[in-house]
Amino acid sequence: MAKIGIMSFAHMHAHSYAACLAQLPDIELAAVWDDNRARGKEAAAQHGAPFVADMKEFLALDTGGVIVTSENARHRKMVEAAAAAGKWVLCEKPLAPDVADCKAIISACRKAKVGLGTAFPVRFSEPVKAVRGMLMSGEYGEMYAASCTNNGQFPGGWFAEPKLSGGGATMDHTVHVADALRWMTGREFTRVYCENGTCLHGDTAVDDVGSLHLEMEGGILISHTASWNRPKSYPTWGDVTMEIVCEKGVIRIDVFNQKIRVYNDDSVKAEWAYWGGNPDLALIQDFVAAVDMRRDPAVSGTDGLKAVEVTVAAYKSAKSGRKIKVG
Amino acid sequence: MNVAVIGCGTMGHLHAATASECGLKIVACGDKYKHNAKVLAEKYGAVASDDSMAVIADPEIDIVVICSPTPTHSGYAIAAAEAGKHIFCEKPFARTVQQCKETMRAARKAKVKLFVAHVVRYFHEYEGMRAQILAGKVGKPGFVKMYRGGLFPLGTDEWFRDYEQSGGVTLDSMVHDIDWLRYTFGNAERVYCQALRRSDPEFVDYSMATFKLKNGVIAKIIGSWAAPGGFHTEVEVCGDKGMLEFNSLETPISTMKRRAPGEQPGTIVPDSPVPKSPYRLEWEDFLAWLYNTRLPRVTPHDATAAVKMALAALDSAETGRPIRL
Repeated sequence: MAKIGIMSFAHMHAHSYAACLAQLPDIELAAVWDDNRARGKEAAAQHGAPFVADMKEFLALDTGGVIVTSENARHRKMVEAAAAAGKWVLCEKPLAPDVADCKAIISACRKAKVGLGTAFPVRFSEPVKAVRGMLMSGEYGEMYAASCTNNGQFPGGWFAEPKLSGGGATMDHTVHVADALRWMTGREFTRVYCENGTCLHGDTAVDDVGSLHLEMEGGILISHTASWNRPKSYPTWGDVTMEIVCEKGVIRIDVFNQKIRVYNDDSVKAEWAYWGGNPDLALIQDFVAAVDMRRDPAVSGTDGLKAVEVTVAAYKSAKSGRKIKVG
Repeated sequence: MNVAVIGCGTMGHLHAATASECGLKIVACGDKYKHNAKVLAEKYGAVASDDSMAVIADPEIDIVVICSPTPTHSGYAIAAAEAGKHIFCEKPFARTVQQCKETMRAARKAKVKLFVAHVVRYFHEYEGMRAQILAGKVGKPGFVKMYRGGLFPLGTDEWFRDYEQSGGVTLDSMVHDIDWLRYTFGNAERVYCQALRRSDPEFVDYSMATFKLKNGVIAKIIGSWAAPGGFHTEVEVCGDKGMLEFNSLETPISTMKRRAPGEQPGTIVPDSPVPKSPYRLEWEDFLAWLYNTRLPRVTPHDATAAVKMALAALDSAETGRPIRL
């Protein structure tokens, strides 16, 4: 029975990962640690795992790997501790809010000879995999441009505190699409221009809309909207979409558009029930297999770093009003 | 009132039909190619000519409708003004801001009415969205996304394919969304744009622009002349209390023709009938102005501002720099 621990439930994705672990045979959520005791205790109880208040004690358990789902700015400290204890690590995205922290995370894991993965479930989405196949097959010829979105609802809490998040919607919702595009095209980002601001949640200290214009190797032009622009009344959490313009046609992908429209008088607002494959489950499966086989997870720490480099350049651009070189 | 149509392509035919529905008489058609002028003129028993300047000068004409390629608009419009004719000009108003200004000056001097056909302001769905926004349904707007996409247009002599003439999708198509954006949310402070403008190996244009408005709204406008299939538009407006979404592919009617065995399957053709076409509404608005009953929804100043914004986007795409407006 492979044993996995979760470090911090600050990020709501931790709940999804815990639920995925519960679905997998021969896998156990062995323990929960959280620097917020009340939050950790509650989450542990909810997922039927013991809560361990002391981090040293938690890392001394016989777990093979840990999932780090803390606030962005706290990833580094936790990953370093986990790696030093010989644990395989799956780190929530963004890997860290700045490049130096990302590099420190990667080098700590390399030094400790443990596997490191970045949680980019979009790579495990069946529609994304299918579109990658179309692009790779050459059926559509050369790729010219894409217009993408990663919209979401306002998460509030620490996401809106710059010290903990490192930034707003541009930080939160650029990396998934940046990573997916790198993976789908096999190209790197070269330059970025970004216009962002606090457009919707006036009393917030971070940006809630980011409009990015990126360039990739080979002159591919990319527009991306990273936002928290979906209201509370929206029927789902948000979206990941791309319109990809190629030499021989156009591919449109709305990654989570496998939905059932649900109307329920108790909740009043309309809701979309998602019925497609669960990318989080595939992500966790890959991590567990990586722990088991002592290999690196499919999406590496370097992939996490590359996506953060795009985000960091985007913030530099938004601040300076100029196009910025990535990396 | 007697109408002359200059430029007898798709829009020339459409405006001739609409003006005729409004009770106006189509008396002359001018086109660089006499054949094109003839095809349209025959429908209305009008005179066809390949000398558009002579058509404009004809004292019988009251209104000149300009549907020729963009760079020729101002020449015809100024001639029309000088001949004392009212002007109904297809968008974009002109190829340069200078041409817009010269045309406005000529119209003002001649005391003729000059209307630029920004028809999106008359689309029921766009008016509906604007009404929702003005009614506060999304709260204070903070983000706008507009999409307009279809085939690369053909046009006589394939003039759209000459980006120097047409300005590509950014000037010719996105100018619709740019105008509606400004009409609904106000003026822009700056723009950044990426445009494909490919002519080799494929004629495709795809343009992606971010406008930062003076009131803080961030607007993304995507224009596509890269779609191999049908035309469609999308709008999304997000505010601090809600959002609205529109997609023109959601229609009350969609049809699909049965094909003979072995033939390629037909495409689904959406249809959304309305009591009055937006073209009819813009003509009625223009005519109400001519009859001195009210000012139209679009002024030449608006049309100039839209050209200015679209050209700034093209300038940004060219230089890779944001352009201050």
